[in-house]
Amino acid sequence: MFRYLPEQASDFAHKVDWINNLITDISVFFTVAIVGSMIAFAIIWRKRDGKDHETPRIEGSHFLEAVWTIVPTIISIYVAAYGYVIFDEMRDIPEDAPTVNVTGQMWRWDFLYPNGKKTTGELVVPVDEPVKLLMTSRDVLHSFFIPAMRVKMDVIPKQFTSLWFRPVKTGEYRVFCTEYCGRDHSSMLASLRVLSKADYERWLNDRSDEAKAARMKPADLGKELYTQKGCNACHSLDGSRLVGPSFLKLYGKEEALADGTTVKVDENYLSSSITNPNAQIVAGFPPNMMPSFAGQVTDDELFAMIEFIKSIEEPQQAAPAAVVQEDAAALAAMSPEQRGKRIYETKLCITCHSLDGSPLVGPTFKGLYGKSGKLADGSTYVADEEYIRNSVYDPASKVVEGFAPAMPSFQGQLSEEDVKDLIEFLKTVK
Amino acid sequence: MSHASAQPLKGPPHIHHMDSVTAYHAAKLGMWLFLATEILLFAVLFTAFAIYRWYNLEEFHAGSHHLNWILGMTNTAVLLFSSFTAALAVDAGQKGNNKAVVKLVGVTIACGAIFLIIKYFEYSSKYHHGYFPGQANYLEFKNFLGLYYCMTGLHALHVIIGMGLLTWVLLKAKKDRFSHDYYTPVEIGALYWHLVDLIWIYLFPLLYLVG
Amino acid sequence: MNAHSDTAHHEGKNYLNHERGLWSWLTTTDHKRIGLLYLYSILTFFLAGGVFALLMRTELARAGADIIQNPEVYNVYFTLHGVLMIFMFIVPGIPATMGNFLLPLMIGAKDVAFPRLNLFSWYIYVIGAVMAGFALIHPPDTGWTFYAPYSIKSGSSVVLMTAAAFVLGFSSILTGLNFIVTIHKLRAPGMTWFRLPVFVWGTYATAVIQTLATPVVGMTLVLLLMERVMGVGVFNPDLGGDPVLFEHLFWFYSHPVVYIMVLPAFGVIGEIIPVFSRKPLFGYKAVVFASVAIAGVSFIVWAHHMFVAGISDTAAKVFSILTFGVAIPTAVKVFNWVSTMYKGSITFATPMLYAIAFVFLFMIAGTTGIYLATLATDVFYHDTYFVVAHFHYTIQGGAVIGLIAALHFWFPKMSGKMYNETLAKIAFVLVVVGFNLTFLPQFVLGMEGMPRRYYDYPPEFQTLHTISTIGAFINGIGYTWALLNLAFAALFGKVKAPANPFNSLSLEWQTSSPPPHENFHTVPEVTDYPYAYGRPLSYENH
Repeated sequence: MFRYLPEQASDFAHKVDWINNLITDISVFFTVAIVGSMIAFAIIWRKRDGKDHETPRIEGSHFLEAVWTIVPTIISIYVAAYGYVIFDEMRDIPEDAPTVNVTGQMWRWDFLYPNGKKTTGELVVPVDEPVKLLMTSRDVLHSFFIPAMRVKMDVIPKQFTSLWFRPVKTGEYRVFCTEYCGRDHSSMLASLRVLSKADYERWLNDRSDEAKAARMKPADLGKELYTQKGCNACHSLDGSRLVGPSFLKLYGKEEALADGTTVKVDENYLSSSITNPNAQIVAGFPPNMMPSFAGQVTDDELFAMIEFIKSIEEPQQAAPAAVVQEDAAALAAMSPEQRGKRIYETKLCITCHSLDGSPLVGPTFKGLYGKSGKLADGSTYVADEEYIRNSVYDPASKVVEGFAPAMPSFQGQLSEEDVKDLIEFLKTVK
Repeated sequence: MSHASAQPLKGPPHIHHMDSVTAYHAAKLGMWLFLATEILLFAVLFTAFAIYRWYNLEEFHAGSHHLNWILGMTNTAVLLFSSFTAALAVDAGQKGNNKAVVKLVGVTIACGAIFLIIKYFEYSSKYHHGYFPGQANYLEFKNFLGLYYCMTGLHALHVIIGMGLLTWVLLKAKKDRFSHDYYTPVEIGALYWHLVDLIWIYLFPLLYLVG
Repeated sequence: MNAHSDTAHHEGKNYLNHERGLWSWLTTTDHKRIGLLYLYSILTFFLAGGVFALLMRTELARAGADIIQNPEVYNVYFTLHGVLMIFMFIVPGIPATMGNFLLPLMIGAKDVAFPRLNLFSWYIYVIGAVMAGFALIHPPDTGWTFYAPYSIKSGSSVVLMTAAAFVLGFSSILTGLNFIVTIHKLRAPGMTWFRLPVFVWGTYATAVIQTLATPVVGMTLVLLLMERVMGVGVFNPDLGGDPVLFEHLFWFYSHPVVYIMVLPAFGVIGEIIPVFSRKPLFGYKAVVFASVAIAGVSFIVWAHHMFVAGISDTAAKVFSILTFGVAIPTAVKVFNWVSTMYKGSITFATPMLYAIAFVFLFMIAGTTGIYLATLATDVFYHDTYFVVAHFHYTIQGGAVIGLIAALHFWFPKMSGKMYNETLAKIAFVLVVVGFNLTFLPQFVLGMEGMPRRYYDYPPEFQTLHTISTIGAFINGIGYTWALLNLAFAALFGKVKAPANPFNSLSLEWQTSSPPPHENFHTVPEVTDYPYAYGRPLSYENH
C-alpha cells in the first residue's frame, strides 16, 4: 500500500525504499488500529435516545501507560537505527569515486568533470560507477536533488558540500533545486544522463567544441596556480618541511591543530585554509604566516587548487623558489643591495610586503626608508635603520596603525649583517 | 484596571484581582521571566561571537586591539558602582526612606548617563577613524566590529530603557509612595538594572580584552 | 468538581455589556475582552492568508502559467501566506484567544496577573500587523523562513517584514510571561497543580516556549536586519558570514513554535473528549507530563530541519534520535484520548466531531513525521510536498481544527448564545473532506519527488495538483461556513445559552454565560480535578 516513490536508479535506492515502506506499513497499521478503535468506541458507546447512560469512572492504567510508552519507544529506536545505518552508507563516499564539481547559480547548474569538460544544465555520469559531486554556490542557497537516486544536498556559497551515488541503470532523470532561491527557483532544473561506460568515455573525451584554455584539468590548473600564487614558497610537494605543511599526501590526513583539536583534511578544510588560513593552524607551525587568498582566487581556481592538492600522492620535485642555494662566494661577490633583495625574496618578506606600494598583510616597502607615521598605540615612528632592525627582530613591539601584528620575529634567522643588507636594499626601493 | 477611587499616599495601589502580597510576588516572578528572555536575546549574540571568533581568530585579536580598554574599564567601574547604588535604593525603599531612594536612584541614572557619554566618545572615535559600517577600514574587521556594534548597541539600548524605568521609580519616590509594604517598583527596577550591569560584565572582557 | 455553583445571575450584567462602546473595548483590561480582540484580529489574518493559499492553489491547478504570469508574484503569495498564517494567525492563535479568555476562568482567578500588560501585548501585536501591512507596498519574496543570503540580496522590503515579525514576537513573549505568572500565582483556593485542566497545562507549556524561544528568533531577525542595513557580516557569506548559522538560530525558535501552535490544541481536545464521553480523562497525569515533555524536547530537535543543509553527519544523527523523542509523548496523548472514549456515553456534538477528526488527522501528521525524522528517508523528503503536507496536517489538522473545535465548544460561554448545530455539522464535513482532499494528494506528490515552493511543475504531477486545488476550495468554503454560522449566532442568535450546556465540571462552566466582568461573584473553592465524571449521574447535580 502507498508505494509512490519514483524508480530506483541508484544502488542504495532500494534500501531507502525498504525503510520508507517499513515506516509506511507501521504507520498504516497504527493509524487504522487507533482510529478504528476510536470509531468503534464512538459507535458502540454512543449516547442513545438522547439520554446519557451510566459510565464507569476509569481514571487511567499504569500498565497501559507503560505499554504505550514502551512500544512506540522500541519501534522508534528500531526505525531510527535503520535510518541511521542507511544514511551512513549514503554519506560514506567511496575513495575511488571520481569527482564532478557542481556549481549552483541563480538559476542554473554548472558541472565540471575530472578531465576539465564543462556542461550546464546536464550532468552525465557512467552507469555502475560511483560518482562524487562536490558542490558550491556562487550566490544564494540551492539544493541539489535527484529523486531517482534518492540523494539531496544543500549547496552553500563559500562552502563545499558533497554527495555521491552509484547509478544502476542508464537513462535520463530529473534534477531539481529544492532550496528556494528566488524568482526562477522552479525553473532551476537539470537532467541527469546515465550512460554506459563506453558511451560515457566517448562523451567525456569529445572535446571538439571546447577552447584550449577550458580543457585544462582542474589538477593541472592547480599546479600552475601553485607556482603562480607562490604557494611553493612555503608548501613542498616532496614531504619536506618548509614554513607550512607539505602538500604530499595531505588530503585525507588527520592533522593535530595548535589548539589541541584534530581535523580531517577534506575539501572544506583546504578551502578554508586558503581563504582563512589562521583559523585552524596545524600544531608545530607558526600562525599568522600565510595571507588570506579570499577574493584573490575564483571558485574555479579554488576547486583546481584542491584537486591539485588531492593529486599529490607521490613526492614531486617542484623547484621551490624559497630554497635557492647560493654559495658563500657568490653571495660575497654581490653588492649589499643585491644581497638584501635576495633576503627579501627568500625569507618570505615578499609574501606580506609589496614593492609597488600596495598594502598586503604588512606595510609596503616602497618609499619606506625614512618615512614617518603613526603606530597602533598612537605614538609615531620614523623608519630609520634602528626602527627597521627592531622591526625585524621584535616586530610586535611597534606595529603600524591599521595593520595586524602578524609578523614573526626573525631573531636567529637573520644576522646583523643580513639586516644591514636588507636595509641597503630598502633604501633603493623608492 | 484599578477601581481605587482614593489612592492612598503610602502603601500598595489597590488592585482588584489579587491581594498586595500576591501582586508583589507576581511582579517579581514576571520580572525574572523577563530577564530570562533578555538573557536569551543576548545569548544569540554571544553564540554568534563564539562561532565567528573561532572562524576568524586573527581578525578578532586584531580588532580587539582597536578598542580602547581604558574607556571600557571606566565604564565597567561606572556600571558596577551604579548597580551598588541601585541595591542600596532597594534597601532604602524597603525601609520606606523615599528621600534616600530619590538620591540613590538619581545617582544610578546619572551613572547610566556617564556610561552612555563614554560610549558616545568611543563610537565617534571609531567613526572618525573610518571603522564604521560602510567606511573604508571597516571591512578589515567586519565580523568583529559588526558584532561589536550589535552587542554594545543593544546593550546601550538596554541602558536607556533601564534609565527610563528608574526615572519612573524616581518620580514615584518623589511622591513618597514607597513603604515597608510596597516597594515593588524599586525592586524590579533594580533587578533590571542589575541585568544591564551583568551583561556588560560579560561584554567588556569578551570584546575589549579577549578579542 | 464540587466547586461553588456560581450561576446566580446578577440579572443581565456580563462582561459584554457592563461597559459599552468601541472605546471601552479598546481600553479594556478584561482578559475576556482582550481574548475577543485577539480573536477578531487573528481571524482577519486567517481569512487573508487563506485567500493567498487559494490564489496559489488556483495557479497550481494546471501546469504552466495560468492566473499568475510572473513567478515573482507567486513567490510573494507563498511568502505572505506563510507570514500571515504563522506569525499573525496561528502563533497567537489558541493561546492569545482561547488562552486569554479561559485561563483565568479555569483556574478561578479574576483576571491574568498583569491585565494592562495584556492589553499592551495586543497593541504591540497590532503595531506588528500594521508594520507587516506597510511591507506589502513592496512585498517580500523570501518565504516565511527568511533564509540568508537570499533574504540579504532580495530587493523586496525584507527589513520591514522582519521588523514586523520581531514586534509580533515581542507580543508573544509578553503574553507567555503573563500566563506563566498567572498560573503560578493566581490559582483559586484548592486549585493544586494536578487539579488544573489539561488546557491550562497545554497553555502553560506553550507559554514557557513562547517566553524562552521567541527572544532567540527576535535577535536573529534583528541580526538579519542589521546585515541588510549595515553589512555586519554575520549571515552574509560575502562578508565572511555563515548562512547555515542563520538556519540554526531560526529553527531554534521555529521548531518549538509548532508546539506553541499545537500544544494548546492538545489541551482543547483533552477538555472536549471527557465532557462528551462522560468519562474522566484517561491517564490525566500522563497527558500532563506528555505536554511538559513535548515542550522540553521541542528545544533540542531544531536541526532536523537541516539534515541536508551541510551540517555534520554526527549532528544529523544526534538530532534524528532526539526527534524521535517527540513521537513518544505525542503517541501517549493519542492513546489516552482514545481510551477516554472507551465505555463512555458519547455525544456527537460539533466540538466532539472536531475532536474525533483531530485524532484522525493528527495520527497522519504524527506518523508522516516519522519519515522526516528518519535520516535515510528525510534526505529524499526534505523540501518536497511531503513536508508541506505533513506540516499542514500538524498545523491545520492540529492547531486550526483545535481552534475551531474550541470556538464551538466555548462559544456558548463566550457569547451567551447557542449556534445552529446542523449548519455547524455541515461545515464540519466540508472542512474535513476538503482538508484531506487538499493534502493527501500532496503526500503522494512529495513521494513522487515534487519540490516545494515551485511556481510551475513538470506535467506528470498535474492530476494530483488539480485534486488538491479542488480540495482547497472545499476546505475554504467549510471554514467560511463554520465561522459565518458562529458569527450569525453571536449577532442574531435567539437561543440563550445556559451556564453549563454540556454539563462540564471545569470552573469556567460554573459561572454564568457569558461570565460577569469579574468572572465569579464569589471566589470558587476547588476540591477535585475537573474530570471526575462517571460516578452514576453525579453531573446532574451541577
